[in-house]
Amino acid sequence: MKKISFLNPPPVFVEFGQTALRAAHENDSVELPLERQPDGRLTAPCKEKTIAALKEFLQAKSWQPRARAVCAIGARGVSLRRLSLPAGAAEEFHQRLRLQIESEFPLPPDELAWGCQKLGGPPAANGTVAKQELLVAAVKKEVVADYHEILRACGTEPEFTLAALARTHLGTPAADSFILLDIGRHQSELTVFETGVATNSRILFWGSESAAGPADAKLDALAQAVNSSPTGTKLFFSGNKISPEISSRLANGCQCAWLESADTRMSAAIAGLKKMVDQSGHPPLVIRVEQTGGEVRSLAAIDFKKWGVRVGALVAALLLLPYAEALLLKPHLAKKVAAFKTEAVRLTLIDRELDFLRNLKSSQPPYLDALYIFSKSLPPGTHFEALSLNSHGEVSLRCAFRDGQQVADFRTKLINSGFFANVTVEEQVPTPDRQRVNVRIAAQEKPAGQLLALPVGPTADEIGKDAKPAPPGAMPPGVSAAAPAAPPVIKKETKQ
Amino acid sequence: MKPRPLTDREKRTVRIAGIGLAIYLALFGGFRVWKFFDTKRSDYRQLEVEAQNLRRQIQPYEDKVLVVKKLMDEFHLDPAKLKKETVVSDASAAIQQAAKAGGLQLGPIRESPARGAGKTLATVQLESSGQVPAVLTFLASLNSIGFPVVVESVQFTADNSRPGQVKLNLTISILDFDQQKEVPHA
Repeated sequence: MKKISFLNPPPVFVEFGQTALRAAHENDSVELPLERQPDGRLTAPCKEKTIAALKEFLQAKSWQPRARAVCAIGARGVSLRRLSLPAGAAEEFHQRLRLQIESEFPLPPDELAWGCQKLGGPPAANGTVAKQELLVAAVKKEVVADYHEILRACGTEPEFTLAALARTHLGTPAADSFILLDIGRHQSELTVFETGVATNSRILFWGSESAAGPADAKLDALAQAVNSSPTGTKLFFSGNKISPEISSRLANGCQCAWLESADTRMSAAIAGLKKMVDQSGHPPLVIRVEQTGGEVRSLAAIDFKKWGVRVGALVAALLLLPYAEALLLKPHLAKKVAAFKTEAVRLTLIDRELDFLRNLKSSQPPYLDALYIFSKSLPPGTHFEALSLNSHGEVSLRCAFRDGQQVADFRTKLINSGFFANVTVEEQVPTPDRQRVNVRIAAQEKPAGQLLALPVGPTADEIGKDAKPAPPGAMPPGVSAAAPAAPPVIKKETKQ
Repeated sequence: MKPRPLTDREKRTVRIAGIGLAIYLALFGGFRVWKFFDTKRSDYRQLEVEAQNLRRQIQPYEDKVLVVKKLMDEFHLDPAKLKKETVVSDASAAIQQAAKAGGLQLGPIRESPARGAGKTLATVQLESSGQVPAVLTFLASLNSIGFPVVVESVQFTADNSRPGQVKLNLTISILDFDQQKEVPHA
């Protein structure tokens, strides 16, 4: 597996204590206070403050992948179990492990953040199933989920392990049994290792600042706890310094040593995490919030051979698919094109039909519209004699009006209708008794294009009014059937 | 006679020659194969272009078909079904039927064939009389009798002998769809 670590940001090392969070990034380090609820979870304001402070501390670059955050969590609330399972396929093994955890721990696996470390196992005897020894560490999920949430919000990819395991990388013997005591200000963490494997880890409410005189009862209790351990032949101290008297009293004659980190600004857990990452890359026991399959999130972890094969396959597909497409789809496409060509003959017919129907529509003279205009414009009592219209838009009308004023009004109405380009009163002859005026009118309709824009036709009100059935033989409103004959007197005038 | 075993130099020469030959054959064969596939591909591309052109050509017809359908519904007419031999007689019969259905009394009807190679098949002159609403209804119905007719002229005259009635004189042209077919589309 090739690595391109120069693209990855350097890892962040974090230790979550009971009252403080310590983080180290490159050569800088920071310590942030933590506020907890009675159930051990972090308070919401504390989370917000911590996220803001960590973001400022880390200053993650947007173009880089998430930085790895290797975190150590304290022993508070952590349960350790050594399990032995029959070896098997990965999926089956995982299922068995979950069942074991369910039976061994007080909470179901879904409510726990847990992780395991394979310890190997005794060789299987003939006829027996090989066993796999495991160290399982579990803690309430909510607690680790809070840490996870904070670190994710800061743009990092967290992985959790136990602080005690991290501290062992500062120089404890790998396969020996020993006790590790990390001394805090007010409380300490005692972890017992049997043949290099942590078997028990607990919090002791005694710290460097609570150490009083030689007759302190708590110190006695602590010494008893240390000495009662069955494997307590070696004792390692880390954390805050205590006086040699106290340390010799705790050690009670057994071999004891201090675990020192090279950088005194760092806690033993963070120094251990750094050393562990330098040596083996990953913690031997990773506590996971969600037990999902491993996902490659780091550019350094990319398997270039696998991805190279994939990219090669894609490029090959990219180059070959056009040729494959041509070979596979050509017959189908050729068939479709042939069908299209056959169908294309019908297009000419559609064109002809469309032209014919459009021509037919445009050839229809607007006779009914013209009649409507006349009926609207004729004054009451007009005697109608003859009306002719043709497809060229020429209109000729013979009728009798009461007087010349009615003729003038009628012509004005026709012109105002906008339907006619010109209206000519070709002849206007008064009858001998002077009661009527016989008129011959000629008009020319406007071109069809202009007439289309005119709102000709009865309005909704008029339709409602005319809804009553007309008597049989009734003429349009204002038109009577016949006009009296009269001798013609030629008088021609045109108004446009 | 047993053939002489090849010396190392000869073996190397044979090996190199074999490799050269294999490379030549691979290149030559590869070129032929590539050429074959490339020809197929360019044919396919050409076919694709042709299909796209056809599609582009057909696309406007989706709208045209809708317009034709609307006009056919409006006129109750399918031009493709018109037969030149019978369209005049059928149209004349349909006009008379429409007049009778509207309550008009039919007078003389004269048919005259079109002169020259115009768009008109024949002209029908029709005289009738009836009440004004019936006349107007008849005029309105001529658009939808199912034949391509155009009213060339219409004349209303007061019928003095029968009050309330008008005489109607119509000149109707029957259009020739076949003539339209010969007109190339603009």
